[in-house]
Amino acid sequence: MSSDFTVEISQNEYLAEGAEDVNAIVTVTAPDTGLAAPVDDQGSAEIIIIDCSGSMRSPRTKIEQARAATAAAVDVIKDGVAFAVIAGTNKAQPIFPLDYGLAIADDQTRFLAKQAVAGSLPRGGTAIGQWLRLAHSMFLSHPASLRHAILLTDGQNQHESPEQLGEAISLCEGVFSCDCRGVGTDWEVSELRRISSALLGTVDIVPDPSGLAADFAAMMQTAMGKQVADVSLRVWTPQHATFRFLKQVAPMVEDLTSRRVQSGPQAGDYPTGAWGAGESRDYHLCVRVTPAGVGQEMLAARVSLVAATPSGPDVLGQGLVRAIWTDDEALSTRINGSVAHYTGQAELAQVIQEGLEARKRGDEDTATAKLGRAVALAEQSGNEGTAKLLAKVVDVVDAASGTVALKKRVDDADEMALDTRSTKTVRTKK
Amino acid sequence: MTTGPQAACPNCGRAVGSGDNFCEGCRTELVPAVVSGDAPTAATECAFCHAAQLTADGYCESCGRKQPSARDHIEVDLGLLAGVTDKGLRHSRNEDAMALATAEQAGHPVAVAVVCDGVSSSRRPDEASLAAVQTAVRVLLAGVREDADLLETSRAAVAEAQRALAGLDEPGPGDAPSATFVSAVLTHEAATLCWLGDSRAYWLGSGPGAEAKRLTDDDSLAGEMVAAGLVSEDDAMTLPGAHVVTGWIGADASGTEPHVATFTPPGPGVLMLCSDGLWNYRPGAAELAELALPRALTDPLGAAAALVSFAIEAGGMDNITVVLAPYPPTAPAPEEKTADE
Repeated sequence: MSSDFTVEISQNEYLAEGAEDVNAIVTVTAPDTGLAAPVDDQGSAEIIIIDCSGSMRSPRTKIEQARAATAAAVDVIKDGVAFAVIAGTNKAQPIFPLDYGLAIADDQTRFLAKQAVAGSLPRGGTAIGQWLRLAHSMFLSHPASLRHAILLTDGQNQHESPEQLGEAISLCEGVFSCDCRGVGTDWEVSELRRISSALLGTVDIVPDPSGLAADFAAMMQTAMGKQVADVSLRVWTPQHATFRFLKQVAPMVEDLTSRRVQSGPQAGDYPTGAWGAGESRDYHLCVRVTPAGVGQEMLAARVSLVAATPSGPDVLGQGLVRAIWTDDEALSTRINGSVAHYTGQAELAQVIQEGLEARKRGDEDTATAKLGRAVALAEQSGNEGTAKLLAKVVDVVDAASGTVALKKRVDDADEMALDTRSTKTVRTKK
Repeated sequence: MTTGPQAACPNCGRAVGSGDNFCEGCRTELVPAVVSGDAPTAATECAFCHAAQLTADGYCESCGRKQPSARDHIEVDLGLLAGVTDKGLRHSRNEDAMALATAEQAGHPVAVAVVCDGVSSSRRPDEASLAAVQTAVRVLLAGVREDADLLETSRAAVAEAQRALAGLDEPGPGDAPSATFVSAVLTHEAATLCWLGDSRAYWLGSGPGAEAKRLTDDDSLAGEMVAAGLVSEDDAMTLPGAHVVTGWIGADASGTEPHVATFTPPGPGVLMLCSDGLWNYRPGAAELAELALPRALTDPLGAAAALVSFAIEAGGMDNITVVLAPYPPTAPAPEEKTADE
């Protein structure tokens, strides 16, 4: 097994006398090349789930583009990968193969899959939980360890309750990862985020169906690059320490705190999903410890990257988060650039979501304040992508101070794009 | 001087002469330098919570506390000279290091010492100081044994230490590993000094007319301001940034020329090397001599320990290292007696 993952810690380990919160940014990077074979050699599996509800017919281009996008994604699936396509309505049915199992990709199966997709007809409602359940059972029909799904919908989850969806999500957690895409503007951002977040995937809007094919192909390309499945961050903390939070902060914000699985008396595992060659992610860790005296040092956390293998957990890399109490203010007041940057990026995502919610409620004062703060944070941190999205929702008077006015008319697609992409972060310049 | 075999090689048991540097049989170094920090700790339970779960990297697997290091307090007594280094009260580790050695040159005993203070703002300063003293003492000892020019040898020792620190470096935040440096070779004729940074050498004279004096000038902001006549020495140390060193050894200081000097003692006394952890509390040579003498003349270890205790009681804000070498260097009396019998 490759042990070339790196785990780097960026922090100010010096704390003022009596201080108890220890913050650190943990950067995990997979090796560029030479990644060893997948953790076990069972290969990978892909399922594409396309919304075939009646609404996909209007406009007609929607289903046509969805078919074309699915075909584009199927073309990217590598030989030997197990795959399937599912049609989602108020129930779920396989489009290809029809035996509720997975097909092994080659020229012939890819051709047959595309033919079947071309003949799929939109009818019926939307019950996404059913789609996930079918994908779950089809994945489990095959021993592949790298399991990934793409889910496309154009509407809200009308034909089942949020609880039913929640149960289906829980069933799939840890079994496969899922990237979600909403086409048009009639779907619910929070609904898809709930799925993608729990299933360690991405969520995005594709406002114009013509953009689907390129997006699907790119997603599948990324999925094909994944080489190590089931990697977790294992965090050891000292006795009497309080685990405050663990958030992924790059490439996007994802709070992992509640995903803890206890793995020892003082250690918990946090799933990170699958990793591709050269992939790098940042995590913000915060631990509250019992302060020791000035001049004393404590290990506040030991962060290991652990891969599940048939023979037990394999440690791929490790980093130490330290705390040293000092009365030298020059040391203890030194602000770590990475921690400050990502604290700002996490706040940016939060104020955007709160601002958009307030706007929907009609609370313009709160919306203006929150979105103004977001504009200022995006400006300070150089997050140009988010700044551009914000400028479509508010008129920016002064970016540095966050002085904004809500736009009178906002395109639904622009608002949803801001919402879905609010968690995207930029990294600090080193 | 004695002749004939006096002792056995600790490695192969072959008889060796008292003045031999190496065993002729197995080439084992017979009088090696003693470096602070060479010894590992052998603790099996946490010094704080008593859990028996210590990790290889020195933490308690239960409470997380960093375990005391062997470097926290070390005393070395070689008879001809002695040194004490201590973590002090306010720092989490001892970033000072010292190396002591003895040799013989033309039948006269020679004392060799190096003191380095890791620069706190650099990467791995504790390893930097240790690597520097280890490397430098080896070069100095070889130079003394080969009767080489001592000023040149001192410069060569600094150059070697520079290279050792460059080899330690790996990318990361902060400056490249660096440390201050002061070395002394004390023969029966003179002391050869070499330094960079603000670790100091002092002459602590004992008789009338043999006044105590500081032998090195600091490479520090304060030192440079005093040298330029901008402030008095007393005022300088109260300035913000007074301790910022302007000369050091490290990967980012290659090519920096160290200061060298030869000092001929006017009479009996004690040569002292120390880090700023001591002289911060008593910078004046006369006051230091008052603290150290007369005990340092006959009991350098006891006197060094007393000076370290003095700095700890005064606040122990920094790591403290003190090395004392009485002049003229005289081989310890008990050993000579045994040899003559």
